[in-house]
Amino acid sequence: MKLAYYPGCVLPTSGKEFDMSTREVFKALDIELVEIDDWNCCGATVAYNVDDLLALALPARNLAIAEKEGLEMVSPCPTCSYWLTRSKEAASDPSVLEKINKALEGTGLSYSGEIGGEHILEAIINRVGVEKVKEKVVNPLTGLKVIPYYGCYIVRPPRKKRFDSPENPTSMDSLLEAAGVTLVPWNMKTKCCGGSLMLSKEEVMLKLTHDILSRAKSLGADCIATLCQQCNLALDGKQRDIEKVYNEKIDIPVVYFTQLLGLALGISPKKLGLDKNIVGTEKLLQSIGIATI
Amino acid sequence: MLNQVRLLETEVIRLKDCDLNFVNEVIEAGGKNAQLCFSCGTCSGGCPAVYTMDYTPRQIMRMVELGIKDKIFKSNTIWVCAGCHSCTTRCPRGVEISKVMAALKSIALRNGYPPREPGGPAWYNSFMEVIRNYGRVFEPELMLKYNLKKTKNPIELAKALLKDAPMGLEMFRKGKLILLPDKIKHREHLKIIQENIRKMRAEA
Repeated sequence: MKLAYYPGCVLPTSGKEFDMSTREVFKALDIELVEIDDWNCCGATVAYNVDDLLALALPARNLAIAEKEGLEMVSPCPTCSYWLTRSKEAASDPSVLEKINKALEGTGLSYSGEIGGEHILEAIINRVGVEKVKEKVVNPLTGLKVIPYYGCYIVRPPRKKRFDSPENPTSMDSLLEAAGVTLVPWNMKTKCCGGSLMLSKEEVMLKLTHDILSRAKSLGADCIATLCQQCNLALDGKQRDIEKVYNEKIDIPVVYFTQLLGLALGISPKKLGLDKNIVGTEKLLQSIGIATI
Repeated sequence: MLNQVRLLETEVIRLKDCDLNFVNEVIEAGGKNAQLCFSCGTCSGGCPAVYTMDYTPRQIMRMVELGIKDKIFKSNTIWVCAGCHSCTTRCPRGVEISKVMAALKSIALRNGYPPREPGGPAWYNSFMEVIRNYGRVFEPELMLKYNLKKTKNPIELAKALLKDAPMGLEMFRKGKLILLPDKIKHREHLKIIQENIRKMRAEA
């Protein structure tokens, strides 16, 4: 199987371990990812606040490129995958599609509305399936207590074609269970971390992220599993700032679900970028009997 | 916050002071179904940032309906919205409240209304500038541009930049920070798209 890959702007930088582990996991699941040529920023959590047509036209340029390759597109970024999906859904209205193409005029690209995007979680669940993933697990992560954290964009705003419940998603849970972990039930799976306010209203982001980290810690989890690089930047990248602001020791590793899945599939921690998470993952790895580099 | 909320609830709102066409402007700017709100308050109940808002999302929706523009644009609510879309997901009337908030932001940005939260416009404008120039986000320049737009005070600027220095260094050490922008080949496309949209808006 071959899919167009849209990493999104942050994946080659602050989300590097997400990019690395995604590519490794897809390789192990026999899906070839072809990074699309000359992709641009999808507009993220910003463009739709500036102009609602711009928020459809920016992803549409990428979809138009993928259409030339004839490949469906996947992205590890929930925000990117939402806007890629949203552009396709909006383009089912011919008048919107016309506007999108008017916006693309002069770029030599046009969008037919055929190809959309999906998040890698959705692709693994729907194109591979939990059972197939389970068959490939060689190193079950037995005894590891994991808190699944979904954040917003993976399920909100709701899509026309629903992939998981917006209030109680379970798709990542099922993959983590296939990887052999013990899930810790909690009520903040989809509570916002405030990541989009990281610069413009930092104190709100610190509070919302603190609420999540603090609860996860109190429930005795070994780590938090995420699926969004913006959430990680908040929960992992800002964890030390939060410890200082709230005068509270948290020290809980925050890892991407692809890193955990990768370990279960027998991929080395180095290849999964487990040395790149800001809160160290050494103890976590040792606890499941994996030596660090 | 409480003072402002009380003010609204105890005030006499004269319809002659309202701009009842404003709701259509908001819908046009992307605030789908804004006219369908029946003020149940589900949006406010689930809003993670409501604790620090001048007006709750429900109150903003009512003010949109009545066209009480000055209160909306003088409040911090639209800039404090984290865009988590819980309100939109739960609205029993199908109102896309988070997109109403976005539409209000776009109206404020287009008209250059002075914001109650200077960080808001500074963030949106610097982000758009960076992606217009490179086609992609370049985090170090985005941080710099944002801080330059937010404050003209050199001490505040230095403080803001230094504050994030430890995280930046850690990112760099772990190979997660690039020092030169990752530019796309057809950078002109971003400018063309934005110019096309600007023309379409002007024609409309």
